[in-house]
Amino acid sequence: MIGNTKAQAMGRRDAPLPDRVDVAIIGGGIMGLATAYHLSKNSTLRIAVIERSYLVSGASGRNGGGLRMQWGDEGNVTLMMQSIEMCRGLAQELGINLWFRQGGYLFVARSEAGERRLMRNASLHRDVGAPTRLMTGAEAREIVPQLDTDQVRLAAFNPHDGVVFPWPFVWGYAGQAVARGVVVRTHTPVQRIEVLGDGLRLHLGTGEQLDADRVLNATGAWSIELNRALGIELPNHPHRHEIMSSEPLKPFLDPLVVDLATGLYFSQSTRGEIVAGITMPDTGPAATEVDLGSSRRFLAHLGHALTQVMLITSQLRVLRQWAGPYDVSPDGDAIVGPSPGVPRLYQVCGFTGHGFMMAPAVGKIVADLLSTGKHHPMLDRWDPSRFARGTSRRREDMIIG
Amino acid sequence: MSDTDRALSRRGPARCATALRWDRDQLVTAREGDTVSLALLDAGILETSRSAKYRRPRGAYCLRGDCGTCLVRINGLPNRRACLTAVHEGIRIRPQNRLVAGADPSALVDTMLRGGMDHHHFMVRPRVVNQLMQGVARNLTGLGTLPDRMPDAPAQHRVLEPDVLIVGAGSAGRAAHAVLTDGGCDVVWVDRRDRDGIVAEANAAVSDALLDHTGVFGVYVAEGLWAAMRDTPGQPAVLYSIKPRHVVVATGARDPILAVPNNDRPGVVAARGLLQQLRRSDATLAVPAVVIGEGAYATALADALGVEALPPADVDRIEGNPVDAVSLRDGKGKRECQLVALAPLPAPAYELARQAGAAVRWHGGGFSVQRDQRGRCATTAFTVWAAGDVTGYMGPQSAADDGERVAAAVLHSLR
Amino acid sequence: MPRRSFVCRCEDVTLSEVDHAIALGLHEVEELKRYTGLGTGPCQGKECISALVKLLIDKGLADPETVQPFTARPPTEPVTLGALAAGLAPDAGDGS
Ligand SMILES: Cc1cc2nc3c(=O)[nH]c(=O)nc-3n(C[C@H](O)[C@H](O)[C@H](O)COP(=O)(O)OP(=O)(O)OC[C@H]3O[C@@H](n4cnc5c(N)ncnc54)[C@H](O)[C@@H]3O)c2cc1C
Ligand code: FES
Ligand code: FES
Repeated sequence: MIGNTKAQAMGRRDAPLPDRVDVAIIGGGIMGLATAYHLSKNSTLRIAVIERSYLVSGASGRNGGGLRMQWGDEGNVTLMMQSIEMCRGLAQELGINLWFRQGGYLFVARSEAGERRLMRNASLHRDVGAPTRLMTGAEAREIVPQLDTDQVRLAAFNPHDGVVFPWPFVWGYAGQAVARGVVVRTHTPVQRIEVLGDGLRLHLGTGEQLDADRVLNATGAWSIELNRALGIELPNHPHRHEIMSSEPLKPFLDPLVVDLATGLYFSQSTRGEIVAGITMPDTGPAATEVDLGSSRRFLAHLGHALTQVMLITSQLRVLRQWAGPYDVSPDGDAIVGPSPGVPRLYQVCGFTGHGFMMAPAVGKIVADLLSTGKHHPMLDRWDPSRFARGTSRRREDMIIG
Repeated sequence: MSDTDRALSRRGPARCATALRWDRDQLVTAREGDTVSLALLDAGILETSRSAKYRRPRGAYCLRGDCGTCLVRINGLPNRRACLTAVHEGIRIRPQNRLVAGADPSALVDTMLRGGMDHHHFMVRPRVVNQLMQGVARNLTGLGTLPDRMPDAPAQHRVLEPDVLIVGAGSAGRAAHAVLTDGGCDVVWVDRRDRDGIVAEANAAVSDALLDHTGVFGVYVAEGLWAAMRDTPGQPAVLYSIKPRHVVVATGARDPILAVPNNDRPGVVAARGLLQQLRRSDATLAVPAVVIGEGAYATALADALGVEALPPADVDRIEGNPVDAVSLRDGKGKRECQLVALAPLPAPAYELARQAGAAVRWHGGGFSVQRDQRGRCATTAFTVWAAGDVTGYMGPQSAADDGERVAAAVLHSLR
Repeated sequence: MPRRSFVCRCEDVTLSEVDHAIALGLHEVEELKRYTGLGTGPCQGKECISALVKLLIDKGLADPETVQPFTARPPTEPVTLGALAAGLAPDAGDGS
């Protein structure tokens, strides 16, 4: 059949491991696999990815699949413009359906502060060439007719933003990496990292060992434990973020909608489900361990916020609720680069609630860094040493959830 | 349609005739108390939607609220379960996910992709083709469309703090309820089905205390609550936050699918659900049917339905749309029939108990809830007990005995 | 209509699709669920989990002593967003 691609093996629990590789990547989430893919494309390095469970078991398999260039800081806007550009042809490049649909992101502001944020963003976006449009509530209703826009002071719409189905994204990178010789070993936890004279040694849950010149810690919300055992103290921490999907409906909602007042976001997947999450009030002290529990409280907050802005959803039913870990970085910027004190161990962590959309660009940036030493400007902001040095600075205020 | 064309013959004292409106304009006569699924089946309307990927015709299967393939639009609301909805005067039922009635052109998907569709790798390249495919796919998936109207009244919220919550009004739940109320306990008793269905199954009166139409949808241990929604037709929905000391989980067992060829055809139903629906409506089959299943369980169901039981291993495939025959392997011929009733061993409805912290174990036909000798399966914010089929299919009589025994143990621990 | 044996009718997953995923090296309930879509439909796997597990046991890919179903997340019965929203409002408190 025209245009059908071949299904690729995406890694196995019994994939044979060499004794030594050039780069070992811990964590088979989107960050680890996007990096592995770009490394395998751009270099001849020997690479292995070690994943504790099945692929898509971490945050990369539990997120909302939203991609946007509507950020509040120039660096992030530019990065996401690159990432979205890469996504346009990515299904063909990876040979798998990603269901990337550019229905736009529609932000609505109901307060004066929100209105100011959207105006500031729009002028920033104009400067860097992102096609964000400011509009009235009435105009927003033309895009989403079911939306209650009575109290909307201002809305912002960018037609290039969109949604994907997260799982095939992960499998696509894994499949192409494996096809290019990367070893992707699943169901194998890394228990400990040992520092050797000429590299690092990974002690695996299977009793095996793997030596590597350099190691990438791409375990997201699980990264803390591996780091602490080596004396690396970084301030990122896991935060449970809940999300739900509704019964499937015929398409009626094109963009992903964000209500700045409540932190509610919702979109409609290719399968017709409304996928929605919200910023929860008072979530308590920072956690140290990943918690994937579901709460009624979340559903109540979500149901309240969603039915307020779109009353017709009152009679819609929830199909499933679940949770995933945000890997929260205190200044909102990711933590990427050599670790303080253990330079052979690279971090690719701290992506909070937006790592999925950044991964296409980040995978390439990290692969370039590892293979050629090329230094992307964002790496300065993402430097893991910034916290100890006291140069961490909050630049971004458009983090949702 | 004249009475002689019906799929069922009715017995017992005549119930009032009523009608439902099917697919815009077709009036389907029914009897009061029928479910929508039974009324449609009786009228020979078996196809109620198209499937998500291959666009195959689909209709009700389990007839007990578990499978989700009977979803139709009811009175302007999408994705409602026809098998759990009783017919009432003026009820409007619409099929879903069909492009047009009759020969749906999208059925070509099924015919063209004979070898199956690998949706991950289907029409990926070039990009224009991929974009077109995605646009088409988006319009073919999804079930119902948005509701016609806003809710009449906002939902209500009630908090209950009983000594005991009983989930389920099957044999085990009914027996447990009798023991616990006799013992003077403060009990909240819920079931997702309507009272008529439960009364028909019990063949006896059922306590007024039962909250019917009330499905427990989740156990939130950290919040100390069992959450339920009561969705009585014509009334505002009620959200219940139930904070019990003890819970008896008597959620029974479901009818899983048997993977025989063409097991998705309209007219393939679960034997147990079919029998229950027939009893509820005082009806017997007036069309030829067969049971597919083996062992004493399947034979008993086939006997009760008055039809032949075929072992799954003998089945080559189910034929026709809607079904008209089952063809058998090895020259064993063909059985003409208008209904095929699958009789797999019921699989315990373990989900709530598992959310509450209970362990489950594979039991041959499904996962059964593990419990201690007295019947406890979890102790967290509440003590959770499991009774009846949810611990492994045992059938109505044993489940009733089990419900009684577990309830006595609950009483004992409350004293 | 071609002959197909469905394991998951909600999401149209056939026996041969499950076999195909197994051939790619996916053997675990959770990963097969995600790759094939089995169990992600309106019934959330209530109807299909048993058929999948039986198949894995028959193929020697799952151990009947230890095999577990996929996570049973709420809601297990329908609940509307409107009813959930009422959960934020103060309790009506009449206890009935
Ligand atoms: C509910 C939710 C919604 C979200 N919505 C969005 C969104 O709309 N858009 C967006 O861009 N982002 C979103 N995100 C964020 C996004 O999902 C994450 O930023 C991104 O997936 C992080 O990818 P990762 O590879 O760093 O981490 P993960 O995907 O978590 O991968 C880490 C992997 O490491 C493995 N691992 C852990 N410890 C070990 C060990 N010791 N040995 C071996 N392997 C190990 C884990 O099993 C896991 O597979 C959301 C997140 C959540 C939770
Ligand atoms: S849910 Fe109605 S037939 Fe299965
Ligand atoms: S039959 Fe598989 S999800 Fe319903």
